Amino acid sequence: MGNLITASGFEKSFQYIEHFKHGLIVTVLLAFFTVIFGFILGILLAIARMSDIRPFRFLSIDRNGRLRGKGFLLTLSKFNPISFLATCYVEVIRSTPVLVQIMIIYYGVFRLIKLPNVTLLGFLKFQRFFPGVVALSMNSAAYLCEIIRSGIQSIDGGQTEAARSLGLSKGKTMFHIILPQALRNILPAIANEFVVIIKESAIAYTIGVPDLMSAVNDVRGAASIIMEPLLIATAVYFCLCFPTSKLIAYFERRMSRGNVR
Amino acid sequence: MEMCADCLISVRNLKKYFNNGTIKALDDVSVDINKGDVMVVIGPSGSGKSTLLRSLNLTEEPTDGSIVFDGVDITSKKIPNEKGKMVKLDIDKHRQKMGMVFQHFNLFPHMTILDNMILAPVKVKHMSKTEAKEKALSLLQRVGLEDRADAYPIQLSGGQKQRVAIVRALMMEPQVMLFDEPTSALDPEMVGEVLSVMKELAQSGMTMVVVTHEMGFAREVGNRVLFMDEGKLLEEGTPGEIFGSPKHPRLQDFLSKVL
Repeated sequence: MGNLITASGFEKSFQYIEHFKHGLIVTVLLAFFTVIFGFILGILLAIARMSDIRPFRFLSIDRNGRLRGKGFLLTLSKFNPISFLATCYVEVIRSTPVLVQIMIIYYGVFRLIKLPNVTLLGFLKFQRFFPGVVALSMNSAAYLCEIIRSGIQSIDGGQTEAARSLGLSKGKTMFHIILPQALRNILPAIANEFVVIIKESAIAYTIGVPDLMSAVNDVRGAASIIMEPLLIATAVYFCLCFPTSKLIAYFERRMSRGNVR
Repeated sequence: MEMCADCLISVRNLKKYFNNGTIKALDDVSVDINKGDVMVVIGPSGSGKSTLLRSLNLTEEPTDGSIVFDGVDITSKKIPNEKGKMVKLDIDKHRQKMGMVFQHFNLFPHMTILDNMILAPVKVKHMSKTEAKEKALSLLQRVGLEDRADAYPIQLSGGQKQRVAIVRALMMEPQVMLFDEPTSALDPEMVGEVLSVMKELAQSGMTMVVVTHEMGFAREVGNRVLFMDEGKLLEEGTPGEIFGSPKHPRLQDFLSKVL
């Protein structure tokens, strides 16, 4: 056995530079779309979890028009199906491996739903890329939902009371008072989640998305070297994630200027 | 007790229960608040005085009873409109007419003092920004804080924050001001500046309901004093009656401890 890492190994790897270039583009695209769809879905999930939709609300009042003190009907009157479903979704996603999720989406869901046979940018098969985006978005949405929800719920109840006592509606209170403060509080957690998305997108190579990890695999298959292409991929992932987290930290500092609590 | 026709707020048989009725924060409280009243509510901690105050603008939803404010029972979910049709009660509309000042100020930390003040008039009453700013500055001048308009709440002392909270509520030109222990979270040396603003407000004819432990304020500024204990309204009278010749043994006991 020769040396684990050799200069010639890197030379060989760089012959496949096109694969790494494509891989980089795919990884960035994958992360970009995942962030967008994941965030939108995450907000929707958070709204659903905190909603106050109670179809059986009328059961809380008895025949004499008084609020019930206890009993099954009172419990049923508090049941919120939308929130229940959203909570189930979040808990299932957070309690199962993302590898299993991406496999189920690709081999299950998108076996039933036929996608058009399109190739993007000349090398990226839509039939593989799209399920990857869907699976990763669905996964990160569950985590983002919890981040957003905890951020909103961390705002002191006195803020809502003050806003409502001034006559602001629920919606205006949320938009002008709660969300700006919550967003600032959760920015570090969101930034962290975005970096996690970039890194976790590597799992998409298991369903044949030609991302960075799949470029590593190409080199391994063709040139029988593994450490060198892995180190190249490591460097590329680091160059993606590190500046991203620094950039968000910069915006975070700017946002909190002058108005810390 | 009859309904009081020309009262600003008429509270009848108000009850607030927690834990299926095992805790009675408010136990059958009835009281009338007239225009121009400065009603001070005193009593030991946990006596329900804050719950009563918070119920007045439905920050706390009562379990039972009615609160008629400005001719409308705000505890009912539906009320008849001008045409006699039953419509959903718009509690936001009524809250605009009631200012509230909290123990912990509850200024919005992400906005400047000026933005704190103009938010509700601009977003709710659709006042123009220039007009709202002008009004805010003149109110700030009234409490001696016109130079802090562009500061953030974090940069203010407790007493300054509470003065801002008072004028923020006044921006909506309320018919009544509710104070929930406005000086309890303040350093002793800052209590005076807040009380003097409240005193000035009382003298200008504002209807006020004040929950406080400041007996001096109750005696000097209030025209009516309520004593509450264990969710019940035990005694009501002028400051002279309450402090001079308290009747209920619980009140006598309470006053002997706090005075």
